[in-house]
Amino acid sequence: MLRYILKRFLTMIVTIWIIVTITFVLMISIPGSPLNEERGTSESVQRNLESYYNLDQPYHIQYILYLKSIVTLDFGPSIKQPNQTVNDLLGQGFPISFELGMVTILVALLSGVTLGIIAALKHNGFIDYMAMSVAVLGISIPNFVLSTLLIQQLAVNLNLLPPATWASPLHMVLPVAALATGPMAIIARLTRSTMLEVLTQDYIKMARAKGLSPWKIVIKHALKNALMPVITIIGTLLAGILTGTFVIEKIFAIPGMGRYFVESINQRDYPVIMGTTVFYSVFLVVMLFLVDIIYGLLDPRIKLHKKEGE
Amino acid sequence: MKNWLLFVVTVCVLLLTACTTSNTRADIQEHEGEKTVLYMNNGKEPTSFNPPSGFDDVSWNALNNLMEGLTRLGKNDRPQPAIAERWDISENGKIYTFYLRENANWSNGDPVTAYDFEYAWEQLLNPENLSPAAFLGYLIEGGEAYNNGNGPKDKVGVRAVDEKTLEVTLTAPTGFFLHVISNPAFFPVNKKVATENPDWHTEAETFVSNGPFILEKWKHNSHMIFAKNDQYWDKDTVQIDIVHWAMVEDTNTEYQMFQTGDLDMTSIPSEIADQLIEDKNVVIEEQAGLSFFRFNVTMEPFQNEKIRKAFALAINQQDIVDYVTRNREEAAHGFVSPGFVNPDGGDFRGITGDLVVFDPKKARRLLKEGMEEEGYDALPDVNLSYNTSESNKAIAETMQAMFKENLGVDVRLGNIEWGVFLEDQKALKLQFSRSSFIYDYGDPVNFLESFTTDSTMNRTGWSNEDYDKLIRLAKTESNEIKRWDYMYEAERILAEEMPIFPIHYYNQVHLYSDSVRGIVRHPVGYLELKWARKD
Repeated sequence: MLRYILKRFLTMIVTIWIIVTITFVLMISIPGSPLNEERGTSESVQRNLESYYNLDQPYHIQYILYLKSIVTLDFGPSIKQPNQTVNDLLGQGFPISFELGMVTILVALLSGVTLGIIAALKHNGFIDYMAMSVAVLGISIPNFVLSTLLIQQLAVNLNLLPPATWASPLHMVLPVAALATGPMAIIARLTRSTMLEVLTQDYIKMARAKGLSPWKIVIKHALKNALMPVITIIGTLLAGILTGTFVIEKIFAIPGMGRYFVESINQRDYPVIMGTTVFYSVFLVVMLFLVDIIYGLLDPRIKLHKKEGE
Repeated sequence: MKNWLLFVVTVCVLLLTACTTSNTRADIQEHEGEKTVLYMNNGKEPTSFNPPSGFDDVSWNALNNLMEGLTRLGKNDRPQPAIAERWDISENGKIYTFYLRENANWSNGDPVTAYDFEYAWEQLLNPENLSPAAFLGYLIEGGEAYNNGNGPKDKVGVRAVDEKTLEVTLTAPTGFFLHVISNPAFFPVNKKVATENPDWHTEAETFVSNGPFILEKWKHNSHMIFAKNDQYWDKDTVQIDIVHWAMVEDTNTEYQMFQTGDLDMTSIPSEIADQLIEDKNVVIEEQAGLSFFRFNVTMEPFQNEKIRKAFALAINQQDIVDYVTRNREEAAHGFVSPGFVNPDGGDFRGITGDLVVFDPKKARRLLKEGMEEEGYDALPDVNLSYNTSESNKAIAETMQAMFKENLGVDVRLGNIEWGVFLEDQKALKLQFSRSSFIYDYGDPVNFLESFTTDSTMNRTGWSNEDYDKLIRLAKTESNEIKRWDYMYEAERILAEEMPIFPIHYYNQVHLYSDSVRGIVRHPVGYLELKWARKD
């Protein structure tokens, strides 16, 4: 197990290095400079700005400086928000984005799995069709459309919930709903199909024969196996939710870090581009790694296989 | 195992939720009740509250209400005495002596002194500080040289004579100087505070202000809370106790928050502008600025004046504002926007009149003549470029149809992402491109000087010696009447040679809640809450 983790860890470092390098190359190859303002500044100010942000250095030096900033975890000041460092921006924005993302994945998991189980148990019945229609709808509606719709109906017309900003648990309801619907639908469909498969297996019949209650069979025996594929796709869903937060944060005026990711590219704010990309990729790679470990813990076959392999 | 993991994740999430939400909620609630709270939207995080650094409207709108310069623009958009109680101007118009109010204080109780202004303006011009607004200080003697690293600090013409007297020497008599110094870039900085802590302006805890409000709370990228400043010399005028600034970027969300009462004022989403603009609570104010197109006179066929004019006269500006932008902008038939008043009280626009008026017949004739002059059998390809946005696209497509209909010319359209667009336009790589200008201060020369030969704002390749000379004179003439004559003349040259042509002037359209009155927006952009009321 330890060797497995170590190997995965090394792969992670290499992955991140590749991402950083590709980002750097892409970044310097987009035309336009962070210092190219509508109104030109005087030449000496321009020169000072360039040397302050190391933009007057050749690219390979800039690249090494970026690598250094990543290793030391200090991305320096933002070019467009001169009073804040990239670390400040990440420090303010990440906890909020993380909170939004985690609550979303939790809500998507709980509701998706529940919906999937119900649909599987009432296979081909009315409830099954209803649940799957909701799921198809959830997959097809883009979250930005859903957000606007939710704000208009629940906040403006019915006045039940606050429309936007991030101030209380109530403020979380709409953005989480908008963001969780897609993943929820995917999880529901997946749970349903694997559940159906599991329910036909012999050990379930055995459990039934032993006279266990139907709920106990589902929760204790069927679900554990039915959830394996769901856990596998959590990593992918997480990536989807992360990119989803870019849009949702803007619509709901949530002070997370999604906006920097998009804005920094538009503004060619190099340190922020590097900072957010590295941060997101590290986060995502680590999450995928954790999912793999959990997967290993939950599925005895994987552990067995590793041991045999050694 | 699974249950255990789920449990841990849930607990973590709930804990996180609890700690992040509880304090923001408290901020807002503690102010409700007896106090008058105004809910505003700043769009996004201010770039900087350090007066010399924040050079954009997201900084200025808020900062203009926290601090105050020597002058402040009044309800009529003209400079009024503010921290300076009065001033003398020397015979030659170059030396201004400002007398500061005895009762002008900082929010920490320190008096506002001439040294604070001297310090702040030196910061503005200091080349080390990289201020984007530094060029505004070039009006001051020695300012440009110091900012370019060619002159010493002590040659800059700003001198504190004593605590309450500031003497400023200008490079030339500048009729609009009192207007320029109302700009937040010229606000004072508390020297004592700033020398002790250079980062005084980055957090609410250390921020000292001298204007109508103090910065009570600033949660970066989330919201700000201003409270009435009881140290402000004119505090009796201020009627609002608390201003809550949200930072909502999306216009649809902003409008929805207005509908639910979470904001007292909103801009109007363009998709529903034509329905909302009839609302009785919509206030349309001028914004000094021009939406226009640049010809590149170094590229065929726009080296030819007649062809340029043909393209300009083929555009029906009125139709564009009526059917495309639908935001009640005024169609532009001149270059300088309306609202600039000359020494006799006449409007610049009224004096030079309509210079670019839709005339398809004349346009066709000019195109024919121009093509003959150049010996063209067929017009070289014309590519119109705009920076990517839905509204720019709509205007460009309308223009494409107008060129087809009125000139019989097929114009190709191309959209380019902003950063690249700007670089290409500056490098004269675009043949025919969309442009806009928003004034920094209230004088026509601010716009007109963009088209002098060596201006970075020119971007047309156009150069005219007479024009350059007129602009030089318009920046140095002490006789205001003559100075305005030079500017009229310069505008006529622009219309005569047409290196650019106008589409519409800008405006500011906002929807206010029933209870709010007295918010003033100046044509140069920034906003005043000093006279605001909420019943």
